[in-house]
Amino acid sequence: MNTYGVIARFNDPVELVHAAEKIRDAGFTDFDCHSPFPIHGMDDAMGLKRSKLGYVIGAMGLTGALFGFGLQTWIHSIEYPMNISGKPFFAYPAYAIITFELMVLFSAFGAVFGMMYFNSIPRFHHPVFYSDKFSRVTSDAFYVSIEISDPKYNEQEVKSFLDKIGGTDIEVLKDEN
Amino acid sequence: MQLFPRWTNNFPGIFLIGIFLLLFSLSSFIWYYGSPYYTDVGYAPTQPVPYSHKLHAGDMGIDCRYCHVGVEQSYSAVIPPTETCMGCHTYVKTDSEKLKLVRESWETGKPIEWIKVHMLPEYAYFNHSVHVNSGVACISCHGNIAEMEVVYQVKPLSMDWCLDCHRSDTPEIRPKNEVTNMYWTPPADYDNFVSSWVEQHGDERPVGDCQKCHR
Amino acid sequence: MMNNKIKSKAEIRAEKLLPGNQDFTTLTDDIAGVPEQKKTPIQWWLLFGLALSLLAIFAGSVGFLIWEGTGIWGINNPVFWGWAIINFVWWVGIGHAGTLISAILHLFRQNWRNAINRFAETMTLFAVICALVFPGIHVGRIWVAYWFLPIPNQMGMWPNMRSPLIWDFFAVFTYFTVSLLFWYTGLIPDLATLRDRAKTNLKRKIYGFFALGWRGGNRQWQHYELAYLVLAGISTPLVLSVHSVVSSDFATSVIPGWHTTIFPPYFVAGAIYSGFGMVMTLSIIARKVYNLGHIITLEHLDKMAQIMLLTGCMVGYAYSMEFFVAWYSGNAYESFAFVNRALGPYWWGYWAMIFCNVVVPQFFWFERYRRHIPFLFITSILVNIGMWFERFVIVVITLHRDFMPGAWAMYNPTIFDVSIYIGTFGLFFTGFLLFLRFLPMVSIAEAKLVLPESNPHHGHEE
Repeated sequence: MNTYGVIARFNDPVELVHAAEKIRDAGFTDFDCHSPFPIHGMDDAMGLKRSKLGYVIGAMGLTGALFGFGLQTWIHSIEYPMNISGKPFFAYPAYAIITFELMVLFSAFGAVFGMMYFNSIPRFHHPVFYSDKFSRVTSDAFYVSIEISDPKYNEQEVKSFLDKIGGTDIEVLKDEN
Repeated sequence: MQLFPRWTNNFPGIFLIGIFLLLFSLSSFIWYYGSPYYTDVGYAPTQPVPYSHKLHAGDMGIDCRYCHVGVEQSYSAVIPPTETCMGCHTYVKTDSEKLKLVRESWETGKPIEWIKVHMLPEYAYFNHSVHVNSGVACISCHGNIAEMEVVYQVKPLSMDWCLDCHRSDTPEIRPKNEVTNMYWTPPADYDNFVSSWVEQHGDERPVGDCQKCHR
Repeated sequence: MMNNKIKSKAEIRAEKLLPGNQDFTTLTDDIAGVPEQKKTPIQWWLLFGLALSLLAIFAGSVGFLIWEGTGIWGINNPVFWGWAIINFVWWVGIGHAGTLISAILHLFRQNWRNAINRFAETMTLFAVICALVFPGIHVGRIWVAYWFLPIPNQMGMWPNMRSPLIWDFFAVFTYFTVSLLFWYTGLIPDLATLRDRAKTNLKRKIYGFFALGWRGGNRQWQHYELAYLVLAGISTPLVLSVHSVVSSDFATSVIPGWHTTIFPPYFVAGAIYSGFGMVMTLSIIARKVYNLGHIITLEHLDKMAQIMLLTGCMVGYAYSMEFFVAWYSGNAYESFAFVNRALGPYWWGYWAMIFCNVVVPQFFWFERYRRHIPFLFITSILVNIGMWFERFVIVVITLHRDFMPGAWAMYNPTIFDVSIYIGTFGLFFTGFLLFLRFLPMVSIAEAKLVLPESNPHHGHEE
């Protein structure tokens, strides 16, 4: 039975942002703020770095464009130079469309699957799901979770700290198997 | 509420491996079993008359063109009529049980219903004489017929297979008088032969035009 | 005055878009309440039954088409392209509103989109599926439809990448895939909401599976928001490219009436126009059946009507420019093609188009009509009839008068042209009704962003 961490409920987005700022200033690093919708300004409040997802999408888009252009060039100039109405084999203006479409397609894959990768989803089993009250977080509740992996983690201190900054329904999450 | 057991966190890995294996095996399956190399090569129907190419063309050395007379003049190589058979079999093996159908056809005038082995679709135009007169050997497409007891399809006759030869750097040709030879080996100066042939005739292999074959 | 407090901008905006006193809890209850209904409304069953029977007609007709070949259609010489391409372009056009609303309006931070974007995206998905049916079946020998794809094959043959028809295939295929990803990405947090609210174990597991274990942590939202923003960013040029590419099917040919450079923008405007028409039709029905008048408000309908007015005027402009260019070019064939549209044997098709697409939306200059629900409903249907006639005009009227008068002929659709077209409605509505029944038709997470208290800084505004 491993402890996972502590969760505490806050009343609204404003409280959650203030709590996040206090937790960040107290020096915690492995914590998260759960909310039913993305909260404006939360990244700063938590002290998160910019997402690196953009680089993944950019790289994928570039790959898609190069793949699209390369595929068409290879087909019509190398693999099967076919004479159609006397058009040139390397008719690069005509390749623009498919190059563009594949660039978009690949970047979309990069965005969605890259997002899944950075978020480590699908992850169906997670200790936070042991808390029944936590399930309201996808509807109207706002939660903070501090994980045991945090170097400053100490169960009693964290609980009293969260209590002090206004958290309610404080629970210690334990992995049950 | 915990809905799923812990092992389900391995789902992304399982899913990726599963998708990869599924796609890989599916495409390998179609690649192998759907290709003409599997579906067409080795087609060997039983002919109404148990005619042996091995005996006639191989052991006795009758030239292909003795029976397939059209091969140098027309698009079709011609399946020989009963008369061609009877040219010899009026004198040889006149009462063989195996030739019963041939004699019947000779008497009634009804042709023997040979079963076509090498089938091209109707939308593909193929001309035997053009190939043979350019020095493309029988064996290149039909295999070594002279050793076949029952004729079967050796090459896939797919479009890609046609194009392989049409697009290769060195056309698969030989001197015209060696076209029907099943045991010809390229001489030492074969490369010179090909390049001088191309120089003389030009490389007219249709590659980039659909309508050369699909008229 | 009960309330003397001066309202902030955000509060005024929220009141228009979400009237009544709503908070996170009531919003979730209202939206998630629809797929959670114990008893399915009788109207739903009636519509679903109708949709299923149309789907049966579709399956039967397409089956017969595959069995018999495209000879069962009314296509002839010179009208080689008939209802199949008309219906394809029509459905793809309808499929444009979804991504436009989701992507472009998201980039412009138009919060009013939040109530209708899910709706429109779903409509896009099923509309594009209906559209993709036609290039699939029009090849006749449907079992070789994979020739569209650049995959190695026994013929050693590749698609001609210089042909607009292949561009079209790539564009629509990419559009479908990106729309699907966009739609699903938007659904993930809502699926998590449904998972956490579900009453039975089976529902919890199914929603839980598709929610992918979403926990709503800001470390997740951070990447999620960026991914969503980028998807919106790349969908914007994509949605403009799709109908431009569809238009080049026509515009790159040398047929008088098709060979014009105005086609891409004109097609895109028409696509957005018909797409908004369809979103309007569907949202009026859905808000009525599910009593969601306080979430999909008159304000939303008004804004959609304004966009329809804009795009309606754009297509109207294009229709008149075509005539101007035909006259100005001095090309006799071009002039004939356009005179023949307006005054030829198919004059009724042309004037039906003008009436539905150009005349009717002029009422939207007046706020009264933009907020008159029965009028909006009828107009939105008329617009889609008009847009269907636009494609009829472009395809049939142009083709039936060839260069050579000896080839001239009339075009008569057969029962199978009609049944396949009607059948695609079955395909569309079956999918759409299943969506209404099992998934939230408004994005729960995004609808909350309209509430002023969702923004922690709203107190500091002004």
